[in-house]
Amino acid sequence: MEEIRMLLVDDEDDFRTTLANRLKLRKIDIMDAGSGNEAIELIRQKPFDVAVIDVKMPGIDGIETLKQIKQIKPAIEIIMLTGHASIESGMEAMKLGAYDYVMKPCDIDELLVKTGEAYQHKLLKEKEK
Amino acid sequence: MFGLKRFFKKLLKDDTKKVEQKVTVEALRNTFTNRYLNFKTLLSTNNKVLELITDMEETFSGSRTFGMSFIRANCTAISVNMYKIISCLNEIADNKYKELPLILEGILPKIDRELQQKKLETGSELVLPLESIDKTMADHVGAKMANLGEVKNAVGLSVPEGFVITSAAHERFMKYGNLQDEINRRIQFLEPADIARLHETSFYIQNLIAAAPCPPELEDAILNAYNDLMEKAGHGFHVSMRSSALGEDTRDASFAGQYRSVLNVSRENLILSYKEILASKYSVPAVSYRLNKGFRDEDIIMCVGCMTMVDAKAGGVMYSADPGNIRHECIIINAVWGLGKSVVDGSMAQDLFVLSKKNPKIILKKEISAKKQQLVSGALEGTRLANITEEQASKSAITYEQAVLLGELALCLEKHFGAPQDIEWAFEPDGSVLILQSRPLMVSDKKPTGINDISESKVDLPVILTGGVTASPGAASGPAFVVETTVDMLQFPPGAVLVARNPLPKWAALLNSAVAVITDKGGVTGHMAAVAREFKVPALLGTSTATEHIRNGDLVTVDATGCAVYAGKAESFLEKEAEKTSLMKGSPVHNTLGNVLKYIAPLNLADPDASDFTPEGCRTIHDIIRFAHEMSLHELFGFKKDASSLEHLARRLVINVPMQWWVVDLGGGCREGMQGDTIGLEDITSVPMLILWEGITAVPWKGPPPIDTKGFFSVMYGATMDRNLVPGIRSRYADRNYLVISENFCHLSSRFGFHFSTVEAFFGEKVAENYICFNFNGGAADDVRRARRTELIKLILEKFDFWVQIKGDTLFARLERQEVPFLKERLKVLGHLVMHTRQLDMVLSNSERVNKYVEKILKEVSSFVDVSQ
Repeated sequence: MEEIRMLLVDDEDDFRTTLANRLKLRKIDIMDAGSGNEAIELIRQKPFDVAVIDVKMPGIDGIETLKQIKQIKPAIEIIMLTGHASIESGMEAMKLGAYDYVMKPCDIDELLVKTGEAYQHKLLKEKEK
Repeated sequence: MFGLKRFFKKLLKDDTKKVEQKVTVEALRNTFTNRYLNFKTLLSTNNKVLELITDMEETFSGSRTFGMSFIRANCTAISVNMYKIISCLNEIADNKYKELPLILEGILPKIDRELQQKKLETGSELVLPLESIDKTMADHVGAKMANLGEVKNAVGLSVPEGFVITSAAHERFMKYGNLQDEINRRIQFLEPADIARLHETSFYIQNLIAAAPCPPELEDAILNAYNDLMEKAGHGFHVSMRSSALGEDTRDASFAGQYRSVLNVSRENLILSYKEILASKYSVPAVSYRLNKGFRDEDIIMCVGCMTMVDAKAGGVMYSADPGNIRHECIIINAVWGLGKSVVDGSMAQDLFVLSKKNPKIILKKEISAKKQQLVSGALEGTRLANITEEQASKSAITYEQAVLLGELALCLEKHFGAPQDIEWAFEPDGSVLILQSRPLMVSDKKPTGINDISESKVDLPVILTGGVTASPGAASGPAFVVETTVDMLQFPPGAVLVARNPLPKWAALLNSAVAVITDKGGVTGHMAAVAREFKVPALLGTSTATEHIRNGDLVTVDATGCAVYAGKAESFLEKEAEKTSLMKGSPVHNTLGNVLKYIAPLNLADPDASDFTPEGCRTIHDIIRFAHEMSLHELFGFKKDASSLEHLARRLVINVPMQWWVVDLGGGCREGMQGDTIGLEDITSVPMLILWEGITAVPWKGPPPIDTKGFFSVMYGATMDRNLVPGIRSRYADRNYLVISENFCHLSSRFGFHFSTVEAFFGEKVAENYICFNFNGGAADDVRRARRTELIKLILEKFDFWVQIKGDTLFARLERQEVPFLKERLKVLGHLVMHTRQLDMVLSNSERVNKYVEKILKEVSSFVDVSQ
């Protein structure tokens, strides 16, 4: 069975690797990046369906990463993760084309459902062309 | 993951096998599938937002305690989902509604401003003297200190002098050390089961906080407040420092003993102790409790109360009620020599006094234990154990008069706060009493109190039933009122005993007016039970036979604690229900919720035919949802110029039912290789569609069947009738039934006049994925008739276990995560309703007729639906 190709971007190593491992167990083909720059590099090199990006990161932050990824590969669907519910940052993310904006702590099953939806959305867009 | 990829691929695949079909048809099918899936997402997002709004409205008018984080989280979720709705609509409609995002962006900043204003309102003071604190300031000083301020300033009882290091101080501290991001990263996705990592993380974070520098202005503020305190108090140079967390009171949760309190702290150690208490937010039990109970880490903010250290001769804790058995009308006091802390942690032998609640002068029980040691303030710092003289050891730590005085204080506090209280107190050497803490007593914590042998009274009334489980202890008496439907809810008389078959969460809304709850089914861990405890309403669940034995209006006495129901009123042991008062109303947080709701909840766009039914006419979030919903239907099923894909994809169902039904197969819903414009029922392989069809056709519809044969875009059945109903308003839509199907899936869209309904069902391989749902949009016709019809549908669906919600002119009902056989029977009910409620507007001239039709429909349904499933 094909797996959804996901890029997980978070600067916190523990959180990122734990989540990545758990997603791997649930049949997500996952790669992870510890910074926005690293993520953008990976995006240039490899194909992904969905990227999950933490909003708050040192260096180039999640919103900037979202913006750049959308420029490089607009087809990738992006789910933003945030520890702080904020209308303003939610608006910004959605305006920049994020598929969803999810508040932490986010249940892994919920994240999987959103990932599935985002993936479906990507397929739809591809189909349209 | 759930074969999701495969599922979607399948849903979207090119049917290469059907080479005989024209490529254009396939392209159309793809376009339609795309638009249809966007429509589905729009509908479910629409419902999600309506639920969020309802949640906010119910919270606003209810008595549940909530904080800013609740409002912020809901508003953010609404904002994000609104973007999704608009983007779905634009994908369906080829970007026709470009101005909608701008309309949304005109509203959202207004909501955001309300939230930000509030944040400043919480106050910027880093410390606050106890004199200036009352119960409304929980966001600033934490619930514990807000209550203590209330005790001092509103109730007028003696409490130690002191001040609070506020939530603003905590925020300042965390910001100064740039700690929160690091902590968030460590704490998120921790699992309570992973004990090792839990300990490691807890240790790491606590060290991080303890080692972090205190902002100089905060340090100054704390030390200055301390100096002021010493000047004012004039005695004692040490303080006790107690955690007073914010956000811990948001649910039925005690958080008891999770955070640190430090006694007898000198000036030198103030800052260190302050940091220790802040760090205790991340103690292992605190972190795992939050994880287990679903509390958000960032919602807990630690305020710290600093009060002059009391030189307690005797101290302890009292409950203004027996948490284990509320039937015992008593006040429970535990007392020790010295500091009362040893009562709290149960570390030493203690005296027990049980006083009558009716008359605290009456001592029901007294146990004096042999006390060997007492906890006292250390000479320099902290506390120490001191030996007790032999003479003192066998003596009661408090006198009879003192016990009575405490009892009276307990009653006074319970009355003021409107709920039983858990109170910490101390007697000073001069005999004066101080209240150190008063907080709501968690009667759900049924610790054995060891006083079960008190029996103030006996009941000699006829027993109606015994058994069941005590979901919320207590006893109450009142007329029974059996609740089966939402209409029953509306008629529920205040002061009645709620009797129901199932403890559905929605009945919880009645707990403000019900004196007790009895159900046939259900258990202690259910939502209703939790809310009953939170509301302190006695609840006896799972009695099996309550609805069988109890009739409306019967006067009953419910002894939830003793698991029995008696006929009549047993005056002798009825709990004096503490008056329920909402402490939230009027608080800044409550007002903020009210303010943001003004931009969210009102519905101004009801009539799709009105001239202001435009993007510009949308003034609230609800307006935008309404508009987007209506337009998505219009775009998908109301084709105007691009009468393309549906015409080619849909096949007319050839069937002996007086209406036109069109079927669109997304794949696997019909026999392979079908061609032509029509399809027979025997060609359908979609399981949910066949079941739905069974419901639609089980009882022949006897109304006037104006079969329309003019073609696809002509007005089908019913519009004429509705126009007659609503003279002067013309239907803007043709009436159509579309069935969008696949093997496991069926979606029916029907429009009759102004009413639009969808039925959707998915029967998958996994129970967790199964659902059926029903949306009914009443349109803009006649408010009263519309309400009656919606009410009628709700009444019926609730009888079949549906979760039903009405928001504005939309009814939505759902059943999910159930076995397929269970869902099948209920899907038939939906089929019947779609078919047989259409003509009812005409006849629902008064509410009595509603009941008549409910009975009629239930009778019809019972002929083909097996409810035992």
